[in-house]
Amino acid sequence: MVSGLSTPEMTAGLPVFGEQAARAVSKTQVQAAKSISVEDVSVSYALGRAARRSVLENISLEIEEGEFVVLLGETGCGKSTLLRMLLGQERPTAGQISVAGSRVERVDARSGYVPQRYSLFPDRTVLDNLMMGPLTSKFHILGRLRPSYWEARRAVKAEAFRQLAHMGLQASDAGKYPYQLSGGMQQRVAIAQALMMKNRVLLMDEAFSALDPSTRSSLQRLLRSVWSETRPTVVFVTHNTAEALFLGTRLIVLARESKDDAFGSRVTLDMKLAEGGMTLRSHGQQFLDLVEHIEAVSCGQRLTAPGERRTALHACGEESGGVGPVRVSPEDGVRQ
Amino acid sequence: MTNLSPFDIQARPNRLLAQALSCVLFVVCIGLYMHTSVARHRENAEDRVVPSGHQLVAGIRSAVLEPAEEDDYIPADNASTWERLRHSMIWKDTASSGGRFFISLALLIPFVVLAVHIGLFPWFGAGFLRFFLFFDKIVALSLLPILFIAFGIDQWSKIALIVIGVAPTMILDVTQMVKAVPQEQIVKAFTLDANNFDVAYRVVFRQVLPQVINSLRLNLKPMMLFLFAGEMIAASDGLAYRIAIMRRHMGMDVILPYVLWVALLLFLIDFSLRMINRRLHPWFQA
Repeated sequence: MVSGLSTPEMTAGLPVFGEQAARAVSKTQVQAAKSISVEDVSVSYALGRAARRSVLENISLEIEEGEFVVLLGETGCGKSTLLRMLLGQERPTAGQISVAGSRVERVDARSGYVPQRYSLFPDRTVLDNLMMGPLTSKFHILGRLRPSYWEARRAVKAEAFRQLAHMGLQASDAGKYPYQLSGGMQQRVAIAQALMMKNRVLLMDEAFSALDPSTRSSLQRLLRSVWSETRPTVVFVTHNTAEALFLGTRLIVLARESKDDAFGSRVTLDMKLAEGGMTLRSHGQQFLDLVEHIEAVSCGQRLTAPGERRTALHACGEESGGVGPVRVSPEDGVRQ
Repeated sequence: MTNLSPFDIQARPNRLLAQALSCVLFVVCIGLYMHTSVARHRENAEDRVVPSGHQLVAGIRSAVLEPAEEDDYIPADNASTWERLRHSMIWKDTASSGGRFFISLALLIPFVVLAVHIGLFPWFGAGFLRFFLFFDKIVALSLLPILFIAFGIDQWSKIALIVIGVAPTMILDVTQMVKAVPQEQIVKAFTLDANNFDVAYRVVFRQVLPQVINSLRLNLKPMMLFLFAGEMIAASDGLAYRIAIMRRHMGMDVILPYVLWVALLLFLIDFSLRMINRRLHPWFQA
């Protein structure tokens, strides 16, 4: 179970003239730029007759427009559950979630989605996969009889080829079926497919987990550059710390409650950050400086206050004893 | 490279040998038949149980070029082969059985659509799934008397028998196929602004269609089985009717060609469906 409260620093970037004034100003600004809002969300599943398993408890989260948020955590900590709730695929047991200003009740076109597997429709060519969203959006079945359909189709096709080139794919790939593409190419098309919808929110569930290290690395760079250009709000789920540090501007570490360890999440965070041969001292700091927020949530405690990011990370690095030189292997990726 | 034993899983015959091997059992069957036929004809030159090659040719000729006994049509002496073929026994029976078969096939389409809904829409699933799970266990042939009472002994009772016999199995099969479509695909479609109709027919149905066609291919024989059961019990024409009539006259020279003709027809339908699947769904072969 993951529980706690995780809110970004509302006053970030604002001059503080007193606590209340800052709160008032920041609140209006954040409201205006708020892209995703998770309010007191809990999720639990029934286990047998009376028992319930709690996965997330009282999670609150505000994500501002243009943030690249990475949900990091070990398997079963609830990060995918949280993403499914943002999508509308699952409903919280308590609390509410809003995306782009309105409450999420069902899966809809507010958010783009790139899953780990089955990200493309196998029965459609790459071009059809890319064109499906915009055409479906504009023309439902009878709308295709309208003359304007063909005009719109031409425009969408041109955009599809542009996205294809943007993703580093050849025009000749357009006629291929997904099974004819490698895993990395499929994920490139999947990202392009989501971008074709011009969504301001992009949800990615372990999107690169099934890829080999070099493909993963190149896709991380691609995603990072796409995000830098258009600045959509991205929520990216991963269990790979190196990937999280490379991609995110804000990391949210979810950890499972541990009975043996009252500071379970601190240990998890520590382990996670030590993963991938990456320690948090010396050269490693250059990555971390680019991460604006890092939060750890567990056991009803917020382990890192927004302002404590660097301190907490240093502490983690030192506690783990991982103070050797930073090793950045190709699969860790290097932020451009 | 070492020669592996034919009983080794890793041993692979070359293309020519594989084709030759696939013909062996056909040749053995024909050889056994000829041997039995010759042996029986040596004892009784008029034997009709295992007709000789000549008898079979005569039987095929009468089936293909002559009208059925019950027909009033008598071909003119100078009637063309096409004219004779059009009024022949086998043509008439094939048309009758084929009509019933293809009407049944068409009537299965709404059930396939229903199955897509059962698999995809939880409310449909809640309403229909248990009913069809139970209905699937009813032995369709046990309903034949009821069908004869309800629809008469004309073709609709046979069509109903085929549909009742095959539809529940197909529904359950297609429902499973739909449920097997990854949830990610459905979620993805909704994020691409698809509505329920789009998801059902432009995402899920398109993806399961090749499997539906394969399921249909597997159900061809049960369909023909139900058709034969109906025609053998009460019919005035049809392939199974003819076989049943010929059995009374010990007309193996007609029965055997009819059996092979039915097998050939089913093989051709199956082959056509396979080709359609391959042509329309190249992605499915991968």
